[in-house]
Amino acid sequence: MRMVHILTSVVGSKCEVQVKNGGIYEGVFKTYSPKCDLVLDAAHEKSTESSSGPKREEIMESILFKCSDFVVVQFKDMDSSYARRVPSETDAFTDSAISAKVNGEHKEKDLEPWDAGELTTNEELEALENDVSNGWDPNDMFRYNEENYGVVSTYDSSLSSYTVPLERDNSEEFLKREARANQLAEEIESSAQYKARVALENDDRSEEEKYTAVQRNSSEREGHGINTRENKYIPPGQRNREVISWGSGRQNSPRMGQPGSGSMPSRSTSHTSDFNPNSGSDQRVVNGGVPWPSPCPSPSSRPPSRYQSGPNSLPPRAATPTRPPSRPPSRPSRPPSHPSAHGSPAPVSTMPKRMSSEGPPRMSPKAQRHPRNHRVSAGRGSISSGLEFVSHNPPSEAATPPVARTSPSGGTWSSVVSGVPRLSPKTHRPRSPRQNSIGNSPSGPVLASPQAGIIPTEAVAMPVPAASPTPASPASNRAVTPSIEAKDSRLQDQRQNSPAGNKDNTKPSETSPNFSKAENKGISPIVSEHRKQIDDLKKFKNDFRLQPSSTSESMDQLLNKNREGEKSRDLIKDKIEPSAKDSFIENSSSNCTSGSSKPNSPSISPSILSNTEHKRGPEVTSQGVQTSSPSCKQEKDDKEEKKDAAEQVRKSTLNPNAKEFNPRSFAQPKPSTTPTSPRPQAQPSPSMVGHQQPTPVYTQPVCFAPNMMYPVPVSPGVQPLYPIPMTPMPVNQAKTYRAGKVPNMPQQRQDQHHQSAMMHPASAAGPPIVATPPAYSTQYVAYSPQQFPNQPLVQHVPHYQSQHPHVYSPVIQGNARMMAPPTHAQPGLVSSSATQYGAHEQTHAMYACPKLPYNKETSPSFYFAISTGSLAQQYAHPNATLHPHTPHPQPSATPTGQQQSQHGGSHPAPSPVQHHQHQAAQALHLASPQQQSAIYHAGLAPTPPSMTPASNTQSPQNSFPTAQQTVFTIHPSHVQPAYTNPPHMAHVPQAHVQSGMVPSHPTAHAPMMLMTTQPPGGPQAALAQSALQPIPVSTTAHFPYMTHPSGEACVCRGRRGTSKHSARTG
Amino acid sequence: MAAPPGEYFSVGSQVSCRTCQEQRLQGEVVAFDYQSKMLALKCPSSSGKPNHADILLINLQYVSEVEIINDRTETPPPLASLNVSKLASKARTEKEEKLSQAYAISAGVSLEGQQLFQTIHKTIKDCKWQEKNIVVMEEVVITPPYQVENCKGKEGSALSHVRKIVEKHFRDVESQKILQRSQAQQPQKEAALSS
Repeated sequence: MRMVHILTSVVGSKCEVQVKNGGIYEGVFKTYSPKCDLVLDAAHEKSTESSSGPKREEIMESILFKCSDFVVVQFKDMDSSYARRVPSETDAFTDSAISAKVNGEHKEKDLEPWDAGELTTNEELEALENDVSNGWDPNDMFRYNEENYGVVSTYDSSLSSYTVPLERDNSEEFLKREARANQLAEEIESSAQYKARVALENDDRSEEEKYTAVQRNSSEREGHGINTRENKYIPPGQRNREVISWGSGRQNSPRMGQPGSGSMPSRSTSHTSDFNPNSGSDQRVVNGGVPWPSPCPSPSSRPPSRYQSGPNSLPPRAATPTRPPSRPPSRPSRPPSHPSAHGSPAPVSTMPKRMSSEGPPRMSPKAQRHPRNHRVSAGRGSISSGLEFVSHNPPSEAATPPVARTSPSGGTWSSVVSGVPRLSPKTHRPRSPRQNSIGNSPSGPVLASPQAGIIPTEAVAMPVPAASPTPASPASNRAVTPSIEAKDSRLQDQRQNSPAGNKDNTKPSETSPNFSKAENKGISPIVSEHRKQIDDLKKFKNDFRLQPSSTSESMDQLLNKNREGEKSRDLIKDKIEPSAKDSFIENSSSNCTSGSSKPNSPSISPSILSNTEHKRGPEVTSQGVQTSSPSCKQEKDDKEEKKDAAEQVRKSTLNPNAKEFNPRSFAQPKPSTTPTSPRPQAQPSPSMVGHQQPTPVYTQPVCFAPNMMYPVPVSPGVQPLYPIPMTPMPVNQAKTYRAGKVPNMPQQRQDQHHQSAMMHPASAAGPPIVATPPAYSTQYVAYSPQQFPNQPLVQHVPHYQSQHPHVYSPVIQGNARMMAPPTHAQPGLVSSSATQYGAHEQTHAMYACPKLPYNKETSPSFYFAISTGSLAQQYAHPNATLHPHTPHPQPSATPTGQQQSQHGGSHPAPSPVQHHQHQAAQALHLASPQQQSAIYHAGLAPTPPSMTPASNTQSPQNSFPTAQQTVFTIHPSHVQPAYTNPPHMAHVPQAHVQSGMVPSHPTAHAPMMLMTTQPPGGPQAALAQSALQPIPVSTTAHFPYMTHPSGEACVCRGRRGTSKHSARTG
Repeated sequence: MAAPPGEYFSVGSQVSCRTCQEQRLQGEVVAFDYQSKMLALKCPSSSGKPNHADILLINLQYVSEVEIINDRTETPPPLASLNVSKLASKARTEKEEKLSQAYAISAGVSLEGQQLFQTIHKTIKDCKWQEKNIVVMEEVVITPPYQVENCKGKEGSALSHVRKIVEKHFRDVESQKILQRSQAQQPQKEAALSS
C-alpha cells in the first residue's frame, strides 16, 4: 500500500534506473505494475561519460523494466508534497468546498419555525414590502457594528485613501480647466452617440413596437418605394409612421377627397388609393402622405416637406389633391378644395395632415416615390396640368386623338379620353400655365383642373409633356405649344405654378365655381357632369377599382378621345401655339373640359374651348375647365367606372393585391400601364378602386393624365431633365412651381413625368429608363419608386435598369398612385379635380396616344416604346451615369429635390394642390405620369406577355418600357383593363395586366400605350435635345428648362406622339 | 525488528544496504513490498534542496548487507491523497521537455544554449527550439551564441523581459563559476596548508 502510494507520488518524475548490468537509464517515470514493473517514457541510456544530454535519436518512447531487471531506481529531488492533494489546491473555493468545511463541522442548522409574534402585523409586513430602501443605511451598519462588536469603521466618505479631493480655487488655470471640463462634458453629452445611448435607456417603446413590423405590407412597399425612390434611409419607426400616415393619408385622402368631391374620390381615393395600392406602402405613403403632405407641404411647405421627407409621395398625392385645392383656394385648401372647390381646402387639410405628419419626413424619402406618386398625382396634377397643356395641345392632339381613338373605349372613355387628352394637353399647357392646365383641366376637366390647379403648375409642366407625350399630343401641344407652349407653358406653368397655386386657387376660385364643383363635383361646363362625376367619384372612391375598370374603359374612351383629342389637339396646338400655349393649354383644357363634359368628341372641342378659355383665364379657367372637365370626365368616368364597377371590383380585388406591395404596384403599374396615365388611375382604381372608383374615372383620367404626362413629360421632361441636371430641373421646377410658375411646374412635371415616363420606360426597358431617367429617371425613378414604392420603387431606384420593369410596374403603380393622387387632387380640389381631370386628360392623352398607337399598332406602340426606350437608353446613357444617381441618387437627391422643388414650386403657387400636384404632379406626377406611363408601358409590355416581362426584366424594359408604357397607357385607355388594375398590375408584374388588359383592351390599349410611350420617347429625345434650349427660351429660367424640356419634349413627344398617333390613327 | 507482522521493515526505519553494483545505499524506509521485494527508501536530496528528497526503489533481490540502522516504532503518518491528474500532466510535460531538449541537443545547440533554454523555460513556459534558435512566446528569438544582444524581436515588454532573463542567466552562470572556482581552490589551499 505504501509502495503504491510512494510510487504513485513519484510518477512523472525523472528517474534513473540501474539495471543489473550496471547500465543506467534515465527517463520519466510513467507508471508501474503491481509486480513493480516500471515504465519509463522518453528514456535513454545514460552514458557514464557525462555528456550533455541525450540526442533525439537516443531517446526511446518508453521502456518497460521488469521488476527483476533493475537493481535500484533513483528518483532525485522529489517533493513529497508535490502531488499531495490539498483541499485548497483542488476546489477550495467552490461552494461545495467551502460549505464542506463549515458544514462538516457544524451540523445542519436546526430549522426554526418563524414566529411573527406580535411584531408581525400586516402593516409591518407591508411596511417591509413597501420599504423602498435598499437594505441598511451604511451608517446604521457602522453604528450597529460599533455598538455590538466594538468595531470602528475606518470608512472615509471622501475616499481620501483612493483619491485626492479637488481643490477649488479661483486661479485662472483652474477656471480654464474647469471650463474645459465642462466643455468636454457638453460635447459628450451632446454627441449623437451619447444621446443614442441615453435614448436606449429611456426608450419607452416596447420591443414589440421597436422590432415588430406590423405594417410591413404597406411599409415594405413604401419602404421599397421610399428606398428606391429616395435612397434615403428611413428608420423603421419612421417608416411605419409614414406608412401609417400614408395609409391613413390614403385613406384620408380617399375619404377626404371623396368627401370633398367626386374628384376627391377620384383623386385622393382613386389616386391615393391607387397610389397606395400601387406603391403599396410607399404608395400609400405617397398617396396618403404624398397627396396630403404634398397638399399641405406643397402649398405651404410642399417643396421642403415633400421633397425632404416621404412627403414626396404624399406631396404627389397631396400635390394632386392639394394642387387643385391650392390653386383654387391654396395649397392647403386643395385637398379640401378637392372636396370643396377642388379640394384645395380638403387637400390641404388632408394633405397637410399627411404631409405634416408623415409627408415631410417621408416626403424626402418618399418624395421621390411620392413624386412619382405625386407624379402620378402630379401626373394627374401634372397630367391635369399636363392635361392642361396637353389638353391644350394634347386636347387638340392628344386629347382629341385619344378621343378619336378612344372611340374604342366608348363614350365614356372617349369622354374621359377627350377629357384626358384635353386635359393632358391642358395639363401640358397647364403646366406651362396651369391656367392652361386649368383650361386644360376644364378640357380634361378633372385631370386638367386638378392638375391645372395644383399639378398644372407642377404637373402641368410634367403633365403637359406627359400628356403631349402620350398622345404626341403633348408633342403636338408642345410641338405646337411646346415651342411656344414649352416656353409659354413653362411660363404658364410657372405662372400657373406660381399662379398655379394662386391660379389654381384663383382658378379654383375663378373657375373654382366650376372647378370646385367640377373638381369636386364638376363645375362649370361639366359642372353638372362633374358633380355627377364627383358623386360618382365619391362612389368610385369607395369603389375605386370598379371605377378603374370604368376608367380603363374611360381611358379607352379617353384614348379615343385622345386620338380625337390629338386631332383636336393638333388643332388646339395650332391654336395654342398661336394664341399662347397657355391659352392653348387652357383651350385644350377647356376643350378637354368640354370634351370631358361631352366625353369624347366634346373633349376635342372642349379642349379648344378650354384652350380659349385658358387663354382667357388660363389658369383659372384652365383649372376650372380642367376641374370641370375632369369632373365631367370623372363623372363620366365614374359613371363608366360604375358601369365597370364590376370590372373595377375585379380590379379592386386585383388592386387590393396591387395595393399590397406587388399587387398595388403592379396593379397600379399595370393599370397605369394599361393606361399609362390611365394605368395609374387604373391602378389607383384597383387599389383605390373603391375610393377611386368614383374617381376611377379620375383615377383613370389621372392615370391617363399621368400616362399622358408621362409620355410627353418623359420624353421632353426626361430629356430636359437629362440635359439639365435633375436637381436643377427640380429646383427650377420647384422654384418655378413654387413661384407659381406653372410653366416650370408643368415642365418639371413634364420633365419629371417624362423622366418618370422615361424612367419608367427606361426602367422598364432598363436602358431607356436609365437613359432618360438620368435626371428624370432619378426623379422619376424616385418618383416611380415612390409611386411604385412598393417593389418597383425600391428596386427601381436602385436598379432602375434592372428593375425598370419593376420600376415601371412601380411606376405604373406610382402612376396609378400618381394618378390616384392627381385624381385626388382633382377631385378634392379644383386642382384636384383638375389633377384628376388632368389625370384624366393625361390619361386621355395617354389613352389617346395609346389609342392611336393601338389603333395603328399595338406592337408599334411597343416599338415606339422601345424606341423611346432606346432613346431613353440613349438618354439614359447620359443619364446612365446619372441613372445610378438618378434612379436612386437622383431620385433621392434630385428626385426628391426635384420633386420637392417641383412640389415646392407647385406648392408655392398651388401650394396645397400644387404641392400635391406639383410634387406628385409636377416632378413626380409628370415624372410619375411618364414613369407611370413608362411603367404602365412596362406593365403593358407585360401585358404583351413578353413585353411585360421584359419591362419587368428591364432588359426588355427599354422596348418594353415604352411598349409597356404604351401598353399601359393603352391599358389605361382600356382603363377598364387598367381598372382591372389588378390585371394591369399583374401585367406590370408580368402578363397579368395584359391578361386583363390584353384580352379586351390590351391590344388596343397596348398600342395606345405604345403610342404614348413612343411619343414620350420621341419627345424625350427631342426634349433632351431641345429641352435645354426650350428651357432657356422659356421665360422662367427654371421653367424654361422645365418647360422647354417638357415643352420640347412635349412638342417632340407631341410631334412624335402626334405623328405616331396620327400615323397610328391614320 | 519491530516490524509489524507481515512486514519486514517498519516505515521510518533507517536502512542501509549494498547493491550488487557495490553501491552503498542508506535511507529511511518509506515502503516495502514483500511480493516484489521492493524497498523504497527516502534519502536526503542529492542536490541539497531542503524540502526535497531522493527516493530509491531498491530491488532486494540484488542487494546484500541489508541493515536496519535504527528502528522506528511510531506509526507512520497517514498517507495523503494524491492528485493523480497533476502527476499525469507532470509526466507528460516532463516527457515533452526531455524530447524538446533532446531535439535541441541533437540539433547541435551549445551547452550554453541549452542551459539558457532551461533557464528561460523555468520562467516562461512558452518557449521552444527552432533550429538553434530559442523562440520565446512566438515573439522573441534568441540566436546563438545566445547573448543578450542576440535577443531579437518586436520591441516591447516581451523582448525586454526576455533580455532580463538572459542577462540574469549569464550573471548567475558567472557567479556560479566563480563559486565553483573558489570551492575548487579551497581544497587546494587546504592541501597546501596541510602539506
